[in-house]
Amino acid sequence: MMLVIALFFILLTVAFYICAQLIHRRFTYVLTIPVIPAMIMLVFTLTLSDISYESYMIGGKWIEFWLGPAVVALAVPLYRQWGMLKKYLLPLLLAVLTGTIIGVASGYVFMRMAGFRADLLYAMLPKSVTTPVAVDVANVLDGNPSLAALFVMIAGISGVLLTQLTWKLFRIHHPLSKGIGLGCAAHALGTAKAITDGELEGAASSVAMTLCAVILSLLTPLILLLL
Amino acid sequence: MTILGQLVALYLIFQMGTWFGNWSQLPIPGSVIGMGILLILLMTGIIKLEWISKGASLLLKYMPLFFLPVIAGVMQFYDLFTGNGIWLILIAVVSTWLVLMISALVSQKLMKDKESYLS
Repeated sequence: MMLVIALFFILLTVAFYICAQLIHRRFTYVLTIPVIPAMIMLVFTLTLSDISYESYMIGGKWIEFWLGPAVVALAVPLYRQWGMLKKYLLPLLLAVLTGTIIGVASGYVFMRMAGFRADLLYAMLPKSVTTPVAVDVANVLDGNPSLAALFVMIAGISGVLLTQLTWKLFRIHHPLSKGIGLGCAAHALGTAKAITDGELEGAASSVAMTLCAVILSLLTPLILLLL
Repeated sequence: MTILGQLVALYLIFQMGTWFGNWSQLPIPGSVIGMGILLILLMTGIIKLEWISKGASLLLKYMPLFFLPVIAGVMQFYDLFTGNGIWLILIAVVSTWLVLMISALVSQKLMKDKESYLS
């Protein structure tokens, strides 16, 4: 019986994802990136049919299972871009480090000012990094992992939407800087956007996104110590 | 290696990262330690890129599908986004905007310095 339930929810999730991909192919826009329509369909279906999240996760955990190996796979683009990484090591590292610290610190200050409770506050801190790492970091910090994933998505979407305006306002024209900004602020979504802007932007963004995840993970012990 | 074998290899490296994380007591996600392990294995040539590149591309391509179950967890928090919850969204957006602007500005400034220094 458990097996049937698990299989059903796995197939349901995959079906919604494929459906969302078709929607995205038809209406290509940042708000239709597959994960958003898929999430809406999934959440609505579960809520309307009164299925609890625990029941859903009987199947869902088998999909979530692949997140860890997917993060490991990020080593491949990092290895491929090693040449560029070495050439611009210092600007890249300093910019990503600054970006990561700004993201965590501003999130912390704003959340404190608004007076939110701890599990929400700690879920906000890792929002600039790719979802699987943000979820892991939120777990380490005792923040709520599902909310962390949601904040990551809000960061991704708003980061992509704000780029044009920000580049214009602050006269950002270096292709690598555009990539670094997108990778630091909007992780995978930013990288998807950066790739459509150009090869240099895309490469810089994927490297920045990965570095950002690594730096945040390395900073997590320090955050635990400070807060 | 077949694509399935590559996926198993990536999973085993993830497990190694997790074990190492637990053993060393470092509060760093096992997945990120695994990424570091794979990077070292690739750079030292112990693992050839062709051995795992197909499996890795597959996982990277479908990454959004893998985090759908975690995101669906927000259904437990409907009430959170009514009333004061709007602030959560606003905070995420403003903080993201600061990251976008400052990281781009810092890198552009540093790269210009470097390029003018070299020329």
